[in-house]
Amino acid sequence: MEFKLPDIGEGVSEGEILKWMVKEGDSIKEDQPLVEVMTDKVNVQIPSPRTGVVTKISVREGEVAKVGQTIVVITEPGSAPRPAQAQPAEQPAPQPAPLPAQPAAEVASQPGTVLATPSTRKLARDLGVDIASVRGTGPQGRVTDDDVRLQAKGPSAQAMAPPAPAPRTAGPNEEEVPLHGIRRTVAEHMVKSQRTAASVTHVDEADMTELVLLREAFKGSAEKRGVKLTFLPFVIKALIPALKEFPYLNASLDDQRGSIFLKKYYNIGVATDTEQGLVVPVIKDADRKDIFEIAGEIERLADKARRSALSLDEVRGSTFTITNVGAIGGLFATPIINSPEVAILGLHKIAKRPVVRDGKIEVRDTTYLSLTFDHRVLDGAYAARFTSRLIENMQDTKKLLAEIL
Amino acid sequence: MEADVTIIGGGPGGYVCAIRAGQLGLRTVLVEADRIGGECLNYGCIPSKSLITVSKLAGRVKEGERFGLRTTGVSVDFAQMQKWKQEVVAKLVGGVESLLKGNHVTIVMGRAEMVERGRVSVRTGQGAEEISTKSVVIATGTRSAQLPGLELDGSLVIGSKEGLNLTSPPKKMLIVGGGAIGLEFASMFQGFGTEITIVEIMDQLLPGSDPEVVRVVQRKLEGKGAKIHLKSKVVSVSKGEGTAKVDVESPEGRQTLEVDKVLVSVGKKPNTEGLNLERLGVKIDARGYVVTDTHMETSVPGIFAIGDVRGPPMLAHKASKEGAVAAERAAGKPASADWTVMPDAVFCDPEIASAGLTEAKAAEAGFKVKRSRFPFAALGRALSTGEAEGFVKVVSNADDGRVLGVQIVGSEASNLISEVALAIEMGATVEDIALTMHPHPTLPEAIMEASESAAGHPVHQLRL
Repeated sequence: MEFKLPDIGEGVSEGEILKWMVKEGDSIKEDQPLVEVMTDKVNVQIPSPRTGVVTKISVREGEVAKVGQTIVVITEPGSAPRPAQAQPAEQPAPQPAPLPAQPAAEVASQPGTVLATPSTRKLARDLGVDIASVRGTGPQGRVTDDDVRLQAKGPSAQAMAPPAPAPRTAGPNEEEVPLHGIRRTVAEHMVKSQRTAASVTHVDEADMTELVLLREAFKGSAEKRGVKLTFLPFVIKALIPALKEFPYLNASLDDQRGSIFLKKYYNIGVATDTEQGLVVPVIKDADRKDIFEIAGEIERLADKARRSALSLDEVRGSTFTITNVGAIGGLFATPIINSPEVAILGLHKIAKRPVVRDGKIEVRDTTYLSLTFDHRVLDGAYAARFTSRLIENMQDTKKLLAEIL
Repeated sequence: MEADVTIIGGGPGGYVCAIRAGQLGLRTVLVEADRIGGECLNYGCIPSKSLITVSKLAGRVKEGERFGLRTTGVSVDFAQMQKWKQEVVAKLVGGVESLLKGNHVTIVMGRAEMVERGRVSVRTGQGAEEISTKSVVIATGTRSAQLPGLELDGSLVIGSKEGLNLTSPPKKMLIVGGGAIGLEFASMFQGFGTEITIVEIMDQLLPGSDPEVVRVVQRKLEGKGAKIHLKSKVVSVSKGEGTAKVDVESPEGRQTLEVDKVLVSVGKKPNTEGLNLERLGVKIDARGYVVTDTHMETSVPGIFAIGDVRGPPMLAHKASKEGAVAAERAAGKPASADWTVMPDAVFCDPEIASAGLTEAKAAEAGFKVKRSRFPFAALGRALSTGEAEGFVKVVSNADDGRVLGVQIVGSEASNLISEVALAIEMGATVEDIALTMHPHPTLPEAIMEASESAAGHPVHQLRL
């Protein structure tokens, strides 16, 4: 059989073949790892759909294959008599297309999950689209048939041909590094964000003295639960009520439709630095998780990010993103919005700085917060009020304490 | 013989699975050890609903004086009723059999064993039939659980199966277990004139259901003389000539009841013996139910399980839908059990039906719950049928008005619930239901009225 690069989901139209786990001539069993593919978002390992012998590898490592393109030919054991022990695991019937290579990890749904009619949900299954990843354009974010079909087609449908740069090779004292995988994705996303959003960055200062003490106080009990308690979970806890109060920051803008979509769920993206480049795993429904759960999830996702083990599901669906460069240093930055969101919050180094309090200079732990927002969706005063509320929440350690206890 | 899919068990799960598999062009074998149609058609849903209809009809005729309906000497001819019931069952089973044949399903009557992956052996009347099969679907269902000391003897201590075959109404019946089956038997035999006592170990009838809903049925049962003992259990049974003395321990103390039938309906047990699950590595849970993913596939690829054998809730319609999913998966299609609601109906008097979350479950799930009720006593059609007890209760999300669940207690509740199941499945809001035209005068108007109330603009209800 010719094995074609399957539709891996969420508008993925092509993937770079990172690594073949087999050589031509190798025997392979069904479900045995076949190939590792790097997509726009993450690496996925695709298992073999059949038992057989790898007769031809059509796309070499490092090359990019389009969805639907044949990447390998597997010859199944011929019409030789079946061994006495039949193998029920074999695909029983003629099959129109390989099923999407994703683990079957759906959960029983209940009202509150994806808003879509049963027939739309079936359409998504039939097209191999993970409906949880589809952005609904219907009322209250309802996913429509068109939304599913658009996702299935992928961005290739309307992809712009990149401007052809003059072909160039590395000159003396230059090294050519191909723009691949995550690097390429980051490059495309950043440029897209800058091109579409009217970005403005607002900077403010927060007094972290009490939060530093609070975190110190609970570090131990967090460790007992096996989690490392950083400042980030506290910031997320302070952030959620601010987002609820200022819904235009937890939103997206659909240009074509001319609508702003306010999200009533709070999936917080956490920009994470890895060797391959920037990835943004997502803490889903952060408003329903406690500080320790958030801390645990940050740790788990960051670890998976570093091992390139994130699933597609873990990197999509964010509604607001935080980028934290505090551990590295600097005063503040102007982060770029994680499109199609409308705002990103930069967290920076906490340092002891002189502060004037009640007319006296005191040494306090302070930090700068930078909020980049899309001026098309909200205005500066709104963003400033949001930031003040966020800082208020961060400084209100009594309330944060109540979250813990 | 060779098959693409072999289905073990021909109940509402297995036979639907077989029909679907046949439609998809799979070589399909259906193995049945007893009767095609399984418990639902032969010993459960269908025969019980037939008898309940007679019981209700008799009851309505007897209370007809109120409407000026004069009758004399109304009585139930048990023999004729049982004969009619059997005709209903036979007709349905025959229909299923011809559907199976029409879809080229091979039926093998006998007990199946999974010898190894891909091989099923069936002990039939004529010996053994060996089936070499790509996939297997376990649809063997459950059987009544037995309580120690309360073992069924077929005459004094009986289960639901025997209860549906009685040739005369008992004078006094003790029902052990106040779940759906227990309640249906209670209402039904009360209609036939039997004195009913229910013993339930939990603190409410129909545990897990909305207590307000259950209260309506309990009040009616008690109003007609039934004794209901909650947080109670049977301690011992001593059998005599045609009667049994039963010791019941309840919060009010210990008492001895003399009854001529004890009907035990205390839950179910999976039919997995002889299937060889352990040796094949098919995972089961602590209570013995087969574990599957949302595609109905067990821990062993190519072996599926559907219906009651997967555990509660045990509902024929659930088994059927799961059967379709398993058949489609076996055919390589991307089917999945992704329904949002699992409606259920209890045919007690008045009926109870529910879809989606109860108030308590919705709050537990973190929703900001809004509840609204509309009583049938305020509805024209309900009053004009003479059956105006009960209400519709709509549970919605206060933030966006989405319908989360609906519970109905009242006449025809079972026939009313599908509208709300569709509403929830479609993601409708209370406003959607409120703005949908409902014909007048009909019972579903109660659902519209309760939704209007949830949306803040009830017409036929004063806002408090």
